[in-house]
Amino acid sequence: MIKEFTKGLFKENPIFVIALGLCPTLATSTMVINALGMGAGVIFVLVCSNIFISLLKDFIPDTVRIPAYIVVIAAFVTIVQMVMEAYCPALYAALGVFVPLIVVNCIILGRAEAFANKNKVLPSILDGLGMGIGFTISLTLIALIREVLGSGTITLPGCVITVPGISLAPIRVIAFPAGALLVLGLLRAYFQHRSIKK
Amino acid sequence: MIKTVISIALRLMIICLVAAGALAYVNGITAPQVAASKAQAELDALSVINQAGTIGKKVEGDGAGVNYYFPVTDNGTVTNYILSLKSQGYGGDLIILANFKANGEIIDAKLMEDAETPGLGKKAEESWYMNKFKGTGASTPVPVKKTMLAAADADVISGATITFTGVSKALEYGSDFAKKLGGQQ
Repeated sequence: MIKEFTKGLFKENPIFVIALGLCPTLATSTMVINALGMGAGVIFVLVCSNIFISLLKDFIPDTVRIPAYIVVIAAFVTIVQMVMEAYCPALYAALGVFVPLIVVNCIILGRAEAFANKNKVLPSILDGLGMGIGFTISLTLIALIREVLGSGTITLPGCVITVPGISLAPIRVIAFPAGALLVLGLLRAYFQHRSIKK
Repeated sequence: MIKTVISIALRLMIICLVAAGALAYVNGITAPQVAASKAQAELDALSVINQAGTIGKKVEGDGAGVNYYFPVTDNGTVTNYILSLKSQGYGGDLIILANFKANGEIIDAKLMEDAETPGLGKKAEESWYMNKFKGTGASTPVPVKKTMLAAADADVISGATITFTGVSKALEYGSDFAKKLGGQQ
């Protein structure tokens, strides 16, 4: 059972190994705080939609399962969006269109289709949690590298750490989407290297 | 055949209804909070950029570059206008709150909403960014091109020219709008 949780962290890490949800990864990994906020949103949506899809798997007719999943997922994403706008307006503004786009994030539909509709509630929760945390860790790692090299800061909830030296002459391109692709590519290469070595 | 279609449609409808109900419930909780935090952000910005005088009632804008504005009065005469300006930046819409004298001179401005690139265009959110515009708009024109800026200021906007153009065009538009109002309510 515990394997359902840990597989999302490294072995089947959604970003570095199965390469799902790359668009939001590139777009929201500009600052550490954005990555954490986006990650929290994805974990919530992933766990909730996994629970409901696993509960409803016998109720949802097979022919229309994708629209049914999308409705469930969209409902949770909209809840995240409304709560975020009300209680963390700065984060909501920073993430912009990528909060509503969680609906079409491949990780979430992917887990619904590949796991939750075939498994019981508890494994589905663990799967969602593991995948969500794996996504958050990867996103935060990319954001940390990008923010330190690209702007010379680390923005955490409630404080901003300025990295001496780099903040005076940051590598601007790393802050752009192109830089995100570079960082992601290098990290993916590293994960690939690790798995081949084993 | 008909039976299965109806069954499928009913099941989908039930899922949609439950989802809609849940959303309506959450919206009922969050909507007042959203409205309150937006109003608070604007009030904070208004008190920062208003230097003297009493802020009057909100007036609807022209539907183009000005969302709405507040006349600012000092002892009964209108001295300033605080305008909510709309413009296009690199990442999306820009909303700027700016204080103009009745002759079009820019007193202060603040970027309220944007989706610019962090480290580049995002710098426009900081208060020093607007310093280069202060005092322009009346006798000196609003700088809308890099060549109209001092060398140090031009360096700062390098790499974020589209943001600069968006902000400066909005302020230029606002300045003209304030001139046209010319001290009237």
